[in-house]
Amino acid sequence: MSNSNDLTEGDNTNRRGFLGLLGGGVAVSLAGCSGGGDDNGDDGSGDDDGNMSGDDGNTSDNDGDDDSDGEVAEGGQLNLINAPVSTFDPIASTDTASATVLGQAYENLVHYPNGESELENQLVENIDISEDNLTYTFTLKEGVPYHDNEVKDELTAHDFEYAWRRLAEAEASERANFMFGTGFMIEYETDEENGIGAANVAPDSLGIEVVDDYTFEMTLQEVEPATMDVLAYDSFAAMPEGLVDDIQGYEDAPYSQNEIAREVTVGTGPFTLDNFESGSEAIVTAFDDYHGEGPYLDSVHWEILSDDEAIFTYGMERNADAIAIPTGQYDQGLVNVEEQDDRGRDVGTYGPVENGDTLNYIAVPTLSTFYVAFNASRVPRPVRQAVAYVTNHEELINEVFKGRGAEAWSFTPPAMWPGGADAYNDFVDQYPYGRNETNLDQAQQVLEDAGYTQDDPFEMTLTTYDSSAFQQFARLTRDKLSGTGVEFDIDEAPFNTLIQRGENGELDMYSLGWIWSWIDPAYGLFGFEPENTNTDEIPENANGYYLDWQSQLGESEWADQAQEAWERAQDNPGPDSQDIRDEAWLEIEEARQEDMVLLPLYHELGESFRYDWANIPKIGGLGGHRLQHNRSWLDEDAPNREP
Amino acid sequence: MSRWRYFGLRLLLTIPILFLAMTLVFMITRMGPLDPVTAILGPEASGGASEDIRQRLGLDLPLWRQYIDFMVGLLTFDLGQAWVAAQRGTPVTALIAERAPRTIWLGLWAIMLPIFIGVPLGFYAGLRSNTFGDWIASFLGIVWQAMPNFWLGIMLLAVLRQTRPGNQFDFLPDWYELGPTTESLLGTPDLSFIAIDWFLLVPIPTMFDFFGFLTALKQITPAALVLGSALMVSEMRIGRTAVLEQVNANYVETAKAKGLKGRTIVWKHIFRNASIPLVPVLMSEISILIGGSVIIEVVFGINGIGQLFYQAVLQGDLPVAGSLAFVFAVITLFFNVLQDLLYTLIDPRVGFEQ
Repeated sequence: MSNSNDLTEGDNTNRRGFLGLLGGGVAVSLAGCSGGGDDNGDDGSGDDDGNMSGDDGNTSDNDGDDDSDGEVAEGGQLNLINAPVSTFDPIASTDTASATVLGQAYENLVHYPNGESELENQLVENIDISEDNLTYTFTLKEGVPYHDNEVKDELTAHDFEYAWRRLAEAEASERANFMFGTGFMIEYETDEENGIGAANVAPDSLGIEVVDDYTFEMTLQEVEPATMDVLAYDSFAAMPEGLVDDIQGYEDAPYSQNEIAREVTVGTGPFTLDNFESGSEAIVTAFDDYHGEGPYLDSVHWEILSDDEAIFTYGMERNADAIAIPTGQYDQGLVNVEEQDDRGRDVGTYGPVENGDTLNYIAVPTLSTFYVAFNASRVPRPVRQAVAYVTNHEELINEVFKGRGAEAWSFTPPAMWPGGADAYNDFVDQYPYGRNETNLDQAQQVLEDAGYTQDDPFEMTLTTYDSSAFQQFARLTRDKLSGTGVEFDIDEAPFNTLIQRGENGELDMYSLGWIWSWIDPAYGLFGFEPENTNTDEIPENANGYYLDWQSQLGESEWADQAQEAWERAQDNPGPDSQDIRDEAWLEIEEARQEDMVLLPLYHELGESFRYDWANIPKIGGLGGHRLQHNRSWLDEDAPNREP
Repeated sequence: MSRWRYFGLRLLLTIPILFLAMTLVFMITRMGPLDPVTAILGPEASGGASEDIRQRLGLDLPLWRQYIDFMVGLLTFDLGQAWVAAQRGTPVTALIAERAPRTIWLGLWAIMLPIFIGVPLGFYAGLRSNTFGDWIASFLGIVWQAMPNFWLGIMLLAVLRQTRPGNQFDFLPDWYELGPTTESLLGTPDLSFIAIDWFLLVPIPTMFDFFGFLTALKQITPAALVLGSALMVSEMRIGRTAVLEQVNANYVETAKAKGLKGRTIVWKHIFRNASIPLVPVLMSEISILIGGSVIIEVVFGINGIGQLFYQAVLQGDLPVAGSLAFVFAVITLFFNVLQDLLYTLIDPRVGFEQ
C-alpha cells in the first residue's frame, strides 16, 4: 500500500492500513482490567504476546535518545521534512503526513508512544471494562488544559462525546466507518429519514454516556478486543465541545470545518498550529501549559517536499535536523550498527554523507509486509508455486532495495507472530520453496507435472503499482521463468487503478503491501478467509485480498483449512481461548503458504537519520507519524535553532 | 482575405477548440483511471464509506449531469473545491491565485534564456556559419538539448549544494553566499518584494524592495536555468538556420550591390526576416514551459501551479486537475492567438491563401 522504500519521519507518504475485524473479533486477556491506579492502558489490547523483545512494555519517561546526557537544552526550532499535508481535522485524517502534524496538537485516550507497540494512557486515567466486555468506563485525567480558545479551558468527558459525534456525524468525517463496523461496533440508533452517512446513524444517538465531568461510558454492540487500539487512532482525538459547527446542536460554534481543517488546531497536545502554507511548510509552536512532559522546543517546522532529490538536497544542506535518504542515494556500506536495543532496533551511525557529516542511525522493522498475490481462480496452483520456487528474497532485497528491508517468510510480521519468536523460527525452518535460493529445477518440475511446458506455456500478467522496485522484481521473475512453462507479462498501473482492477477480479498476479496499525495477527489475516476474498463481493460486502480463494473451497484442502481456521478463531473470542486462536492463525499462514495464494517478499525497514544535534526519541515499528515531539530537543549548537 | 479578417477568424476558431479541450479534459479525468475515493480512503475503503464520499463529491450523479456541471463551472470560473490535493475543501480559484505568481515568476525568467541567449547565439552562429565558433556553438547546443530537464535539474542540485567550503565542488563560488545569502536551493521564492494595487485593471506597483527582488531572483535562478535551457537551444538552432537562409537570399545580394553597409543589411533586413520563424516557435514553447514547470517545480520544491497539478493528478483530485488543465488550455490558446497577432504585424504576407 505504500510505494516508498524508506519509512522515516521525513517520508510520510503512506496511507495507513486500518481495518478491523469483520464481525465478532477476538477477545484477549480482558480479565483483570478493572481497578484503579494502574496507569498502563494496554490491558485490553491483547498485544502482549506479540512483543518478542521481552520488554515489559514500559516506555514512559526518558526512553528518549541515547545522546541525552540528562541535560536538556530548551528552546529552538526543530526542522523536519514532510509529504504534502491534507488536513488538520482529526476526523478527516487518513494519511500519515497529516497525522504527523496534527498528532502534535491533538491527543487521544490512549496512544502508542513514539510508534512503539505498547499502548499507554494519554488523556485517560483509568479504564473499567464490564464483565461482558461491552461497556467501557473511562475516567479522564483532571485539569488538562486546552490550547487557547474561546470555547473551553479544560478537558472534560463531554469533549469526547462531542468529538466522537463529529467523527460519526460530520460531513467531513472520513473514518465514520471505524465506529460502525470495520473498527469496532459502537452502539447507535439508525434513522431512515434523518440518518447520516452509510450507517444511517441518528444524530446524537451514539452509545456514549457522560457520567460526570471526568467520566464517561461507551457501550459496544459486540466484543472487540482491539477496542483500545482503535481508540488510539488519531481520528478519535479529543476536541473542545462546541468548537466546530458541523454537527446538529452546535450550529453556533465559532469555527467551520474548513477553518479547523487548515487554520486552527485546538487540542491538548504539546504544540499548536502556528502557520501553514499548503505545499510549502507547516509550523507548530509550543504549548507551555502542556499537561505532560515538555515540550522543550519552541516550535517544529516541516518543509513540505515530495521529490526524492529535493528531500535529499534539503537534508544535505542541513536545513532539516532529521532527514531522509532516498534509496537512490543510499549506500549500505555507510551503515555502522553499534548495537541492537531491547526492541530489536539497530542503533548506530550512517556516514560520512556527502556533506561530510556522520548521522545517527536507527532502523526498526516496521509492521508491514509487501507481497505479490495471485487470483486463485485465474492462476493454477503449480504456477503459483513455481513463482515461489524461483523467488530469492535475499537477492531481491539486496539488488532492489540496497538491503533496506527484512526478508518476509510469512505474512504476519515476526514481531507479532502467534506463539512468539521460537514458533516463528520453527515456521520459517519449514519454508518449502527454498530460502534465499532460486530453485529453477523444482519450478520446472512442478510446471511439467501440471502439463505446462515451453511449447505450451501458461500465460499470465503480473501487475505492479508505480514502483520501480516491484517492476524490478517482475523483470527478475520473468527472466528466471522464461523458457519454463510460464509466459510472463508485466504491467504497471497507478495505485488506484490497481485497486479497482483487483476489486473487479481482473488481476492474475499483483503487488501490494499491508501496514499494521496495531499488533494483532487477526488484523491482517482476516483478508485470507476464503469467503472474504471473493472479488464479486469486494468492496461492498467483503474486504479480503483479491485472491478469489473461495473458488478453491471444496477443491483445495488448504483453502478449506483456512476457512475452517478462521471460523474457529471467530467462534472462540474468549480471553481463555488464546491458544486456539494462535493455532488458527498458524493454520491460515500454513494454508496460504502451501496453496501459495500470496507470496510475502519483505518487511519494510523504518530508518531514521538524525544529525548529531537533534535529540528525538527513537521511533517504533508503528511508524514515525505516531511520534509526539514533546520530548525532542536540540543541542545548543544546532545550526537552525533560530527560525 | 485581409490579414485582420484572418486574425478575427483565428480568434473565433479558438472557441470550438477550447470547448473541445474542456470536453477532453472532462473525459480524461472522469473516465480515466483516477479514483479520488480510493485516494482519500486508501485501499481499505469499505463499501459504505466510499459510497458516502462518492455522494459528497457528486460522483454518483449521471455522467452527463457531471459534464454539464463541469462545463458550466469552468465557464463561470466557479472551479469548485479541492477534493484531495493540498487542502481538502479549499476553493480551487484560491489555490490557483496563491500559486500562480510563483509559476509566472519561474516562467518569466526561464523565457529570458532563449530570448537573450539562445536567439543572439543562433544569429551569431548563422552569420559566421562554418567557422570554429559556429561549430562549438552547434555542438554544445546539440549536447545540451540531449540532456533531459529533470536530469539537468538533479545535476544542478547535486553540484550547487556541494559548493560550500570543504565540499566536493568548493572550487566554485559558494552558491549560498553568492549575492543575497540563501538557506536552501529549494523552496518557493518570496515575491513580497513588490506590492501591487489594481487601478481599473491596471496594476500599479506601490512598493518595491530591491534586495528582496534579488533574493527572489536568486532563489528561482537554478530552476529557471533548467526550465529555459531546452528552449534556449532550440531557439539557437532555429535562429541559426533562419539567418543562414536570409544571408544567401537574393535581396541580400541586391542590398550589397546597391552599397548598403553590412551592419544595415544585418539589422534592418536579415534579422527582421529571420525572426519570423522564431515567433511561432517561441510561442508554442510556452506550452512546453507549462509542461516543464510541472517537473521542475517538484524537483526544486517550488510551490507553484505545476506542483499543484502534479499532486492533483497523483491523487485523483478532479476539480483541481481539471481546472488546471483548463487554465493551461486557455494560456496555450492565448499565446496561439498572440502568435497570430505578432505574425500579422511582422509579416504582411500572412493570410489564409498563401
